Amino acid sequence: MENILELQDLSKAFPKSDFKLENFSYSLPYGAIGGFVGENGAGKTTTIGCILNTMRRDGGTVKLFGREMTDADTEIREKIGVVYDGDNFPGYWSAKQLSRVMEGIYRQWDNALFQKYLEDFRLPAGQKIKHYSRGMTMKLAVAAALSHHPELLVLDEATSGLDPVMRDEMLDVFLEFVQEENHSILLSSHITSDLERVADYITFIHNGKLVMTVSKNDLVYHYAVMRCRESQFRTLDPGDIIAWRKRDFQIDVLVSDGRQAQKKYRDAVVDHVSVDEIMVLLVKGERV
Amino acid sequence: MRGLLRNNLYATGSNARVFSGFMLLLGAFTAAVISQSLQIGYVMIGIIGFSVNAVLVGKNESVSKWGKYKLTMPVKRADIVKSLFFNEVIWLLAGTVFAGIEVGLSWLIHGCLFDRPIDMLTMFALGISMSLFMGAIFFPLLYAGGEERGEVFLIIALLGAFGIDFAIVSMANEILDPGITAILLGAAILVGCSVSAFILSYPLTVCIFKRKEY
Repeated sequence: MENILELQDLSKAFPKSDFKLENFSYSLPYGAIGGFVGENGAGKTTTIGCILNTMRRDGGTVKLFGREMTDADTEIREKIGVVYDGDNFPGYWSAKQLSRVMEGIYRQWDNALFQKYLEDFRLPAGQKIKHYSRGMTMKLAVAAALSHHPELLVLDEATSGLDPVMRDEMLDVFLEFVQEENHSILLSSHITSDLERVADYITFIHNGKLVMTVSKNDLVYHYAVMRCRESQFRTLDPGDIIAWRKRDFQIDVLVSDGRQAQKKYRDAVVDHVSVDEIMVLLVKGERV
Repeated sequence: MRGLLRNNLYATGSNARVFSGFMLLLGAFTAAVISQSLQIGYVMIGIIGFSVNAVLVGKNESVSKWGKYKLTMPVKRADIVKSLFFNEVIWLLAGTVFAGIEVGLSWLIHGCLFDRPIDMLTMFALGISMSLFMGAIFFPLLYAGGEERGEVFLIIALLGAFGIDFAIVSMANEILDPGITAILLGAAILVGCSVSAFILSYPLTVCIFKRKEY
């Protein structure tokens, strides 16, 4: 399958904070929703910054639509819609003014579509953005990102701070967007339930490193957590363990195939695992 | 580019409307009274004030993520900088028109307040020159030092522009013999130097902005 986005050995260091993104390789196929998940400061926004050229990378390659994007490649950016967390647009604008600016920037800006989104999202076009609620500003940003007919949506914490009803509404819009087979979404979030609902692939990032990428099907049907006693844990084959974490009276072990683990270790309790639990095990647990 | 200019217009417009109201009232008062120094002050405030309002666009945008967002749109970084330079020129012209109307009105009512009409040329040249020097200093500083320090860079740019103009005028007075030719030449040197600095500041600002990370 062809990829809409490909990162190869992406590196970026911040000498003042000791944080660095190290040899980050990742690919997002056409027609898919890829989710980045990781704790605050894990490197999600840095990765997105390097993809969108708002940050300069120290090494590696980033290919969008099959080629590297430079500052001069405005054609590529015509096909990308972006939503950042928080205030994407100046508060002194109204949605009407935003549309007028955008139609002077995007060749494919579709004012009728934008007006439709404003109606669907119940956003007053004449009101200043600074008087919008947080949820309304996020909806406006999504409307703007979709109204120039992009093929790739990059959403950096776009659902954080929204109430569950609004998040659900936004996630439906994203799912509708990927109905077109050449459309993809890169969604960064630490709200793991959002990723569980919409993402086809979930990528775990920790301390600037890509820990693993799992398809949602694998996550739902195969990944599991084994609850072991210490004596049981000592008998486990290290090859079966992705990560483990000692709790009060048990040890939680993340495994990639729960059914096989159940067959192999009959005494152990094997439970389904959520993205949240995987994240905690990968971040706070130990890896073999 | 059209969208970027429109963005700058919206960003400047609200403050410019307030400033225009103030300038209209001040202009009416200045035209009504006979005062050469008041007229010089009005011309300077008009030209430089509108320019200051225009250059602050870059700083005002840092309140939201719009500065970062713009980089994800189909515009080049050089175009973003170019639009800021254009914006300053547009508002500089607006300020010059305001000042010109007031001077014209005063002239109609009271006659010329200066010894010679050509002295007014120096006044306009000084205002335009200070505005252009200010922009030439402010824009590279803004991107090199960060938008959050916009106010201090504006003060530095204004003082720098004043210092450069003061030095040019002092040198011109030293070198040139008094007379109409000296006034014309002095005004030409002021405008010529500031236009050159403004033009040269553009590639420097682009170069700095290309390294800027958000």
